[in-house]
Amino acid sequence: MSGKPGNFSAEILKRPRFVDVEKCIACGACAEKCPKKVDDAYNQNLIKRKAIYVEYPQAVPLKYAIDKDHCIFFEKGKCRACEKFCPSKAINFDDKEEHLNLKVGAVILAPGFRAYNPAGDDTFKYGRLPNVVTSMEFERILSATGPSQGHIRRPSDQKSPKKIAWLQCVGSRDVHRAAHGYCSSVCCMYAVKEAVIAKEHAGGDLDCAIFYMDMRSHGKDFERYYNDAKEKHGIRFIRSRVPTIEPVDDTGDLILPHVNEAGEVEEERFDMVVLSVGMETTPEVARLARNLDIDLTEGRFCRTDTFHPVRSSRPGVFVCGAFQGTKDIPQSVIEASSAAAEAEVLLSAARNTETRRKKEILERREGNKTPRIGVFVCHCGINIGGVVDVPAVRDYAATLPFVEFVTDNLFTCSTDTQDTISRVIREKALNRIVVAACTPKTHEPLFQETLVSAGLNRYVFEMTNIRNQDSWVHKDAPDKATEKAKDLVRMAVAKAALMSPLEEAEVDVNRRAVVVGGGVSGMAASKALSGQGYQVTLVEREATLGGQALNLFRTWRGEDIQENLAAMVKSVESDPLIDVCLNTELGQVEGFVGNFKTTLTCKGQEHVVDHGVTILATGAKEFKPEEYLYGKDPRVVTHLELDRKFMNHDQGLKSVKAAVFIQCVGSREPQRPYCSRVCCTHAIESALYLKKINPDAEIFVLNREIRTYGEREYLYREARLAGIVFIRFSLETKPKVFVDGADLKVEVPDAALGHSVGIKADLLALATAIVPYKDEKLARFFKVPMNEDGFFVEAHAKLGPSEFASDGVFLCGMAHYPKPIDEALAQGQAAASRAVTLLSREKIRVSGTVAYVNPAVCSSCGVCVEVCPYSAPSFIEKGPFSGKAEINPVLCKGCGLCVSSCRSGALNLKGFEEGQIMAMINEV
Amino acid sequence: MSDWEPKITAFLCNWCSYGAADLAGVSRLQYPPYFRVIRVPCSARISPKFILSAFRHGADGVWVSG
Repeated sequence: MSGKPGNFSAEILKRPRFVDVEKCIACGACAEKCPKKVDDAYNQNLIKRKAIYVEYPQAVPLKYAIDKDHCIFFEKGKCRACEKFCPSKAINFDDKEEHLNLKVGAVILAPGFRAYNPAGDDTFKYGRLPNVVTSMEFERILSATGPSQGHIRRPSDQKSPKKIAWLQCVGSRDVHRAAHGYCSSVCCMYAVKEAVIAKEHAGGDLDCAIFYMDMRSHGKDFERYYNDAKEKHGIRFIRSRVPTIEPVDDTGDLILPHVNEAGEVEEERFDMVVLSVGMETTPEVARLARNLDIDLTEGRFCRTDTFHPVRSSRPGVFVCGAFQGTKDIPQSVIEASSAAAEAEVLLSAARNTETRRKKEILERREGNKTPRIGVFVCHCGINIGGVVDVPAVRDYAATLPFVEFVTDNLFTCSTDTQDTISRVIREKALNRIVVAACTPKTHEPLFQETLVSAGLNRYVFEMTNIRNQDSWVHKDAPDKATEKAKDLVRMAVAKAALMSPLEEAEVDVNRRAVVVGGGVSGMAASKALSGQGYQVTLVEREATLGGQALNLFRTWRGEDIQENLAAMVKSVESDPLIDVCLNTELGQVEGFVGNFKTTLTCKGQEHVVDHGVTILATGAKEFKPEEYLYGKDPRVVTHLELDRKFMNHDQGLKSVKAAVFIQCVGSREPQRPYCSRVCCTHAIESALYLKKINPDAEIFVLNREIRTYGEREYLYREARLAGIVFIRFSLETKPKVFVDGADLKVEVPDAALGHSVGIKADLLALATAIVPYKDEKLARFFKVPMNEDGFFVEAHAKLGPSEFASDGVFLCGMAHYPKPIDEALAQGQAAASRAVTLLSREKIRVSGTVAYVNPAVCSSCGVCVEVCPYSAPSFIEKGPFSGKAEINPVLCKGCGLCVSSCRSGALNLKGFEEGQIMAMINEV
Repeated sequence: MSDWEPKITAFLCNWCSYGAADLAGVSRLQYPPYFRVIRVPCSARISPKFILSAFRHGADGVWVSG
């Protein structure tokens, strides 16, 4: 790659797939006929696939490819079975490697990770003992699409195991051999998940035990899941590192010797062992990094810094996902949007310079006339035609009411058939179209476009599925499959006869954003928006920007927070596109996506802002505890108070002889069953700093578990090497803190020693929980949900972490969940990037499939208003129907919940009208 | 009972179960050809009236999945 940010020239090698993706219809005939069986890497080599294959059934695009290394034709020069049987002539053995030269402005690296291979590690005898599998293999064993259709069987004898053990930290948190010193961040949770699912699949008599060092459930709602695994599912958690796995003769069973928490050696026999393997960067990716000249960390991840969490060392090259550091799905998704935001800012001048506009075709006003239905039945090569008697289905369709035209096509989706359909619609004056073919989930949009090109409304279309849900699944019953196809066509025709054209509502988008909260997350969101030319009103209730970061000393990488924060505040304050409103709160909010009207209140003064989107970045605060003599003895401080002492160069710290840190103060307690995520790392970084300024101080970290995820683990190791003592306690054996004369004493039972340890402390730092503000007014204003802990609930825990289910409202920072600065900042950028998907459009067009109210029948009961997750229904305020419900089509997602909940029958759903569904039911 | 061919009306959510039924096809899983699918935008769309109506029109079973 050469060039500069905004103007790179990138050389790309594109390998041949030997299948023309334009022609391939993914029918699978090639794979069925291919004589060569190959280990299926997607299924962890537990089963075979063919040399022509799709990697997995959900692959996008769903197109086949030839595995050149195993194809008989490439090996021996003959075969070509796939070519012979391909109905759409998609095979191309002459396909060549392509060298593409791309002109790009920015580069985003998202190469991911590979799982650690434990084969080289003698401890686990992986590869030698058949019933020792990796967690990746176990994922496939659990999967309904896996080698055993989700039935748990152990490899040696295919028996259902009765006892399964998971071993954590395989290849992670291990500085020996080829393993990695960092924590892989995700293995604890996936092991718990695998154990829970295994128990659900196997029923009551499966025993699951997880051998671990620290259970790291630091993600949102993870601690609850971990608690449930223990308490509700009966999964056993054993804190011990297993040194070896021994086979029991030829039984296939395995003995795990281990040292229990009391220090005694135990042995336990299991039917199967799962190795929780960690993540690593592949050598290929490391090579790519070298070629691109970007720096890597000690663990071979892309080097970034806390205040630029997705920027690589090379300007214009951004990174996201596991290559940035080990992480789970939500964090990867956040970073993906964050990297997109960085690229958007860099390339904002070029936005809309290469867009192409579609030709608009005027819609004919035919929809409400007597139905004239056209039915197109697809053979899909032999995919449907080989099982279903397609001509019989076609002839049957011709006998149905309102059907004016029928035909069958070899491939209804082909370009020439689209032209035919378009012509036939005009010639025969058809006004409803039914296609019986594959699945609407992939092909409905294509046919709808054809309707539009013929001047029809896109909603006078019904597709019925006679391939995926008929010919493919009833191969051995062609008569029944034909009968089913006829039934499905009859049902579709019955619905089509009742269809009418639908309108798609359009709203203008106001290009301004309101960001609520001026901490790092809100500021990052504001800068990502202003950097793309959008105006921002940044609302902060305090007198200064900065939020909680104002209280923090250093990051875990040792970066000075105040210095970086000051630069950030300055760049926000001097930004002409950002209107900073300090000492300001929200007084009132009206409107919805594209058109919010928010009243801001500042020192008694009100002013109204019109804006298109809202980002909530309201943060969280430090919990003030009542235990451990906090507030009663000046030597007892919180982490933030200790950071303040560091920042003030407090001389008292130099005379500290013994310092104690107590973790999980207010977190992971019954009344607050979540992990505050940042405190373990914070405590260790503070302990190490204290050790640096006062090397003689004895330091104890009393913890329930140390959760230094990712490369933060190095810090934990460094702390132990520096002589910092870590002592574990449990919820039942919490430390006791009391004053003895002038002394502050801490007493904690040490399981390893078997008795209590007493420490005379000069400093006691409490890792107090991070608690949300539980701002119910704000939740009400934007109609967004909060969970029982008081954190806002995102649209989707994994795939929509930075947005709400309600359109136009986005989420970032600690209002979502406790998180460190780099993650809060990345999520601020992510929320901005998500918001730009709306702000960059002049108008938003929404689906025509929306609910509507017949106000004459509405009884004003308000059930629809109550049940809708998207706040689409509301009461009409003025006019003859005042008090009745109405639906805002812009907010409606067309789920139909309000419709089926309406007691008066006043609601209906366009496109899925009651009459239409009833007509289908009649015809089953 | 072995030659009994039940008539089952299936209401499948477009986003999950309908997609799963498609995947069953892609994976070529074979199952008896006795149910007829009515695709709905969400299982929330299914009103009790639909279920009763299906039985009234002779369904031996109704399958709601979402």
